[in-house]
Amino acid sequence: MSATDTEAPAATLLSVQNLSVVYEPTGGEPVHAVSGATFDLGRGDFVGLVGESGSGKSTLGFALTGLSKPPARVGGGSILFNGVDIAGMSSEDLRVQRQGGFAMVLQSGMNALNPVRSIRNHFYDIFAAHGHIGRGEREARAIELVGKVELPAGVLDRFSGELSGGMRQRVSIALALSLEPQLMIFDEPTTALDVLVQHAVMNTIRELQKSEGFTAVLISHDLGMVLEVTERVMVMHNGLIVEDRPAADVLASPQHPYTRMLLSHYGDPRAEIVEVPGLAARGPKRAPEVSHLKTDFVPVSAEARARAAGTEGVQRREGRAAREAIVVSNVSKIYPPPRRGEKPVRAVNDVSFTLEPGASMALVGASGSGKSTIAKMITGVEHPTSGTITFGDLQVDRIKRRSLKRLHTEVQMVFQDPYSALNPLHTVEYTLTRPIVNFSKLRGRDARRRMLELLETVGLTPVEQFAARLPHQLSGGQRQRVVIARALASDPQVIIADEPVSMLDVSLRAGVLALLDSLRETWGVSMLYITHDLLSARLVTDQIMVLNQGAVVEEGATASVLQNPRDEYTIRLLDAIPHPTTPTPEHN
Amino acid sequence: MRFVLTKIGLLLLTLWAAVTLNFLLPRLMPGSPADAALAKLAQNGPVSPATKAAIEAQLGVPTGSMFDQYLQYLGNVATFDFGVSYTFFPQPVAGLVAAALPWTLVLVGLVTIIAFIFGTLLGVLAAWKRGTWLDTLPTVGGTFASAFPYFWTALLLLFFLGYVAGWFPTSGAYGRGTTPEFSAAFLLDAIYHAILPATTILITSLGGWILGMRSTMINTLGDDYVTFAEANGLKPRTVAIRYAARNAILPNLTSFGLALGGVVGGSLLVERVFAYPGVGYLLYTAVTNQDFPLMQALFLIITISVLLANFIVDILYGILDPRTRR
Repeated sequence: MSATDTEAPAATLLSVQNLSVVYEPTGGEPVHAVSGATFDLGRGDFVGLVGESGSGKSTLGFALTGLSKPPARVGGGSILFNGVDIAGMSSEDLRVQRQGGFAMVLQSGMNALNPVRSIRNHFYDIFAAHGHIGRGEREARAIELVGKVELPAGVLDRFSGELSGGMRQRVSIALALSLEPQLMIFDEPTTALDVLVQHAVMNTIRELQKSEGFTAVLISHDLGMVLEVTERVMVMHNGLIVEDRPAADVLASPQHPYTRMLLSHYGDPRAEIVEVPGLAARGPKRAPEVSHLKTDFVPVSAEARARAAGTEGVQRREGRAAREAIVVSNVSKIYPPPRRGEKPVRAVNDVSFTLEPGASMALVGASGSGKSTIAKMITGVEHPTSGTITFGDLQVDRIKRRSLKRLHTEVQMVFQDPYSALNPLHTVEYTLTRPIVNFSKLRGRDARRRMLELLETVGLTPVEQFAARLPHQLSGGQRQRVVIARALASDPQVIIADEPVSMLDVSLRAGVLALLDSLRETWGVSMLYITHDLLSARLVTDQIMVLNQGAVVEEGATASVLQNPRDEYTIRLLDAIPHPTTPTPEHN
Repeated sequence: MRFVLTKIGLLLLTLWAAVTLNFLLPRLMPGSPADAALAKLAQNGPVSPATKAAIEAQLGVPTGSMFDQYLQYLGNVATFDFGVSYTFFPQPVAGLVAAALPWTLVLVGLVTIIAFIFGTLLGVLAAWKRGTWLDTLPTVGGTFASAFPYFWTALLLLFFLGYVAGWFPTSGAYGRGTTPEFSAAFLLDAIYHAILPATTILITSLGGWILGMRSTMINTLGDDYVTFAEANGLKPRTVAIRYAARNAILPNLTSFGLALGGVVGGSLLVERVFAYPGVGYLLYTAVTNQDFPLMQALFLIITISVLLANFIVDILYGILDPRTRR
């Protein structure tokens, strides 16, 4: 079935036969998270395992390294590691096997280190557990291992809380390496990291895989990155491996519709025409026509628009004075030093821009570049140290409690994490009705009608059904639509969207982005779109500002800035994007 | 080191504030102890000037400015001069407190520490062996035992083991005929007398420690560093103790600090039931007899012990959690 079949059996490190993993929650129906997984891994292979959330990819990764914990359980099949079945092995036998066997690097490298144990002790614990490194050699070996992940020996004396996210993930990789494994499984090793850091860590993983010669499985939701890094790709969907072929073949001729769908969501933000299903941008100005929709996005129908035109919201809007721009001039924000003896933190440094009514502007930068601080200052949560922010006649930089309500009627936020932005105890109806009652004069049946209109606007139909649901009964994309609907409840002029799609599966992103984009047309809302994802910035914005360490390094029309980036930082951000469609030369 | 110095500085500051409040509060109340005593006497008819002078001489009337009084008070506190008790006249308060304090510190303090250690260990075991009898037995048993009120358990033990069975003495810290001294016989006698009150405190407080540790430990067992430690093939014992339990104990330290602080003041009921000559019993006597000097000294001692306990826990945090050391 795959290329590995043709190789000699001795070259096979791992052979998985008809493996299934079952979740058996107490008092619930058992769920097959993985079924019928069958594949071989040869020595030195670098294989990608791709799928969206809930596809079973991590569950499979945990099963391969013998880490399935209740309620998950290997339900059947075998995992032959060097010819020995580890699926039914006792935990002590399995534990001993790990040294020189298989290792795993977890998704959230942030939390993979014991906060109260020094990095050095993490290494020593592993050496002591397996006894493969003598007491006299421990120190030298630990220094060698952190050296392999490009960290100085000094990190050994640190605690995880003193390290950055990228450093922690590197330490995790070094710890996994200290087992001298033949098989390494990386479960979303760079997901929680910043774009540029992601790129660097991934390069380290690639180089280590070559120099150490272990077999690697890279689990990721990001097909683009996997295609760029690995030789062979397995695509998982609903617990099944639907595609298992060399990366080049997957790219050239994806077989499964699901793979094709995933691939269709990649694009080069530098291209003349950028298109993903449901959204398109071309030239210096975005395309007026939106191509045919393939995702779950439900376009706002002409009928709904006509109805919306007759509703309270739009009438209120029309009856109001002219729309206003947000004017940010020479704004700086300096935070006091985090610890005594350190310098104050200059989060935002002399930033000026104007968000015109109905415009859409991207604020791009890595974490710590000050983009979220700017959002906080515009919403009046933080006050700038110097400079002014005005919204119409509101002096936002010195806003008082009383005017805050007026500001929040007009400026609303959409947050990054739809899972924590909704109160799990309240129905969608309650979540949406609260701001309607708070911000408008609508009560009772009128408020309810407005709530249903909002649901229709964000494409959650049938509206009556969605109104009655609780957040846990909604998918990530649906939750984010509720969050957007809540932001619209006050009928705002401006929406500040802080990484609104970064936590969503690729296939859901386009739908939410298309919704945000359409709000500008139907509601005339202007948008400040905060992101580190240049592709989505290209798709939904006209203007772009690139921030680096609190200062604007580049600004202009989105298409022209991305096509002809001048600042080195913008170029690095663009280079860090995986391009499955145009295989990039080796990075160093 | 700087961490410890900061904490010591904070301790001294709060100590000063506590001592000052202890000085100010009685003075903010109208009148003086002498006035109170005179008012009581006045109910039975007019008080002669001689009686008045006698009472004022006995109880003392504030002289000098507020600041002079404050300085004098600070001097008295520094030399442990808390005046003379009304109830045990003319014994000085300091001597009474000094006699009661060791009994409470040893009995309640030691038992609180033992309960914390045992409860935490049982909690670790219960979480680690979740779902087995090692989990069910301490969890259910602990909940059951700590559901009884303090004094009720005390009365049950007293009645069945002390009165009915006659195995243990029913009151006091040592036998009637003996006087406190450093001898093996007296020590054994004291331990023998301490068994029932100690068991009472142990039974009622153990459950809380077990349940608290078990639930935080179950949380840390789900943390990524525990999974990662398992993925790296660490021995189960290492994972349980150095990874899961080590982190789980941190939130429980705060409750331990509160419990330690309550040792001196919170043992009132137990000491009352067992007629144990500790601080709690002394406080009970002082309150029922309106013995203000004694009360004031005891309140100060209780405050100071709470502060000291919190200081100890702060330092413990610093040792156990590198994140607090900054």
